[in-house]
Amino acid sequence: MMFAHGFGCDQNMWRHVAPAFEDRFRVVLFDHVGAGGSDLKAYDPKKYSTLSGYAADLVEIGEELGLKDAVFVGHSVSAMIGLLASFKAPEMFKSLVMVGPSPRYIDEEGYVGGFKEEQISELLEFLSENHMGWSTAMAPVIMGNADRPELGEELTNSFCRTDPDIAKEFARVTFNSDNRADLGKVNIPTLILQCSEDVIAPTAVGEYMHQQMPNSKLVVLNATGHCPNLSAPEEVILAMRDFV
Amino acid sequence: MSETDHIEEDLEDLYENAPCGYLSLRMDGRIAKANQTFCRWTGYTPEELLNKRLHDFLNIAGRIFYETHFAPLLRMQGFFNEVALDLLRKDGERFPVLVNAAERKDADGKPLFIRLTVFNATDRRRYERELLKARDELKEFAASLEERVAEATSAQLRSDAALATQREDAELREQFIAVLGHDLRNPLASISAGMRLLQKTKLDERGESFVLLMQKSVMRMAGLIDNVLDFARGRLGGGIMLTLSVQTLEPALQQVVDELQSTHPEQIIKTEFSFTKQVDADPVRIGQLLSNLLGNALTYGAPGEPVTVTAKTDKQFELAVCNKGNPIPEAAMKRLFFPFSRGEVRPSQQGLGLGLYIASEIAKAHGGTIDVTSTSELTCFTLRMPLLR
Repeated sequence: MMFAHGFGCDQNMWRHVAPAFEDRFRVVLFDHVGAGGSDLKAYDPKKYSTLSGYAADLVEIGEELGLKDAVFVGHSVSAMIGLLASFKAPEMFKSLVMVGPSPRYIDEEGYVGGFKEEQISELLEFLSENHMGWSTAMAPVIMGNADRPELGEELTNSFCRTDPDIAKEFARVTFNSDNRADLGKVNIPTLILQCSEDVIAPTAVGEYMHQQMPNSKLVVLNATGHCPNLSAPEEVILAMRDFV
Repeated sequence: MSETDHIEEDLEDLYENAPCGYLSLRMDGRIAKANQTFCRWTGYTPEELLNKRLHDFLNIAGRIFYETHFAPLLRMQGFFNEVALDLLRKDGERFPVLVNAAERKDADGKPLFIRLTVFNATDRRRYERELLKARDELKEFAASLEERVAEATSAQLRSDAALATQREDAELREQFIAVLGHDLRNPLASISAGMRLLQKTKLDERGESFVLLMQKSVMRMAGLIDNVLDFARGRLGGGIMLTLSVQTLEPALQQVVDELQSTHPEQIIKTEFSFTKQVDADPVRIGQLLSNLLGNALTYGAPGEPVTVTAKTDKQFELAVCNKGNPIPEAAMKRLFFPFSRGEVRPSQQGLGLGLYIASEIAKAHGGTIDVTSTSELTCFTLRMPLLR
């Protein structure tokens, strides 16, 4: 079972979910390039200018580990990355679990993605011109908390710490992506975990995906926000167990 | 503790009017309680804030980052500190804040609600923006600097390459001139040798006059070849090359005089040599210079009148060739030492017009000059150059 984190933090996003499957599965966790403990030198602006570049990495990991008929679990944008990877390597995954997925973030006629085009532009502008040096400035703040010794140095160093330039590009690629046309091509069983009150992937998006994907199952979680894997891991684990 | 030190702190007032905003969020992100300071800063009443989500007071970028970064961070480590956000006030204005957050947990570690402390960061954010702007400007400057360095480097490389090409060209030119000189002089030497053999056989008067004419032509040809080659070298970059040595120049000059006398037996060449000092010069080149001047004098001078060659070493080395005859026209004087310039006399005798040019170049190479005076009485070309370099 391979877990992929989304835009923002790193594989620690799965710390409350992944262990629950270690009894039945060989659990694979990784950081996308630019996040967590990844090698920043491996970042190639051209390759990662589309989600397909990230999907290629995923396939590479799977091939290296000899994955066959695995379960792919992707949070947020990684749900779409996993979908693209399943096209590239059809034997690798037997099913997909998508947590808070969205094939298209921007509204269009007849489609509700949750964001206006100018809002996404505002986000990207915000990222490029604003105080997003926080991502590197963040780490020392987290590390400075001597009153929380349970936070190991490795952990405090890595999660939610992304290279600002790569994060900006990842945001651009993520929020401009459009994978609606790919949904119908998925034949393997897919579980869509839809949160209540998710500003990033609204309920309408989850319903749209369920409609477009014939072999899909939609579960609307009671959990609110965009990260049920952190805020409501039990609910996520239950839904996943039921599916796999 | 004295009585004046004792402050009766009102905890309720401390909460409501603290110099920071307080927010309590339920685990679903909805506002459960807000203090007066927060309400004042944002322009909302506590009732308006109640049950709203924090998202509702953030701009879109803040919302996305709260969901993708800060909310997960809070869940993972139970707190976050110094998160920069823009709050949207009721009047639509943005209010920059720094936010600290901590989860309030029960005895079992189960999170109950979230406490947020909100600090006014207007000035700090302005300062940060200026810093960012300065950093971007610096980046831009560095980039333009890099660009300029790259440009300069490539220009340097180009000029290095051009220099190398130039050097190659110069080498090729030298080779070409050497080969040309060799190829032109060789057949001439054969003709000259053949004629010397011919002179030793018994010839009638007509035959002898033919040989003499031919010898004259050969000498003239040899002189022309030398001049053309020197011109090519001088013009195309090589310059006049000197092989300097310190000696009296008398033998070299005498040899030139003898050669020209033998080819111009009908004319009188008078020499007045007075060498008291040695000269640092290239004897072959000085000989070539004299040959050019004397050749001209013999060609253009009045027939039957003697040509005089005087050489002396006083303070400097002076070599003069004088002849009688028509003066050099005023117009021609100016262009006398330019290449391909000729006097307008006897067209049949025209050479290439390089003789005086080469002579002046040789003079220049020795640090000297050639002066010309031309009157109806006498035309003189005078070389003056330092004795020692």
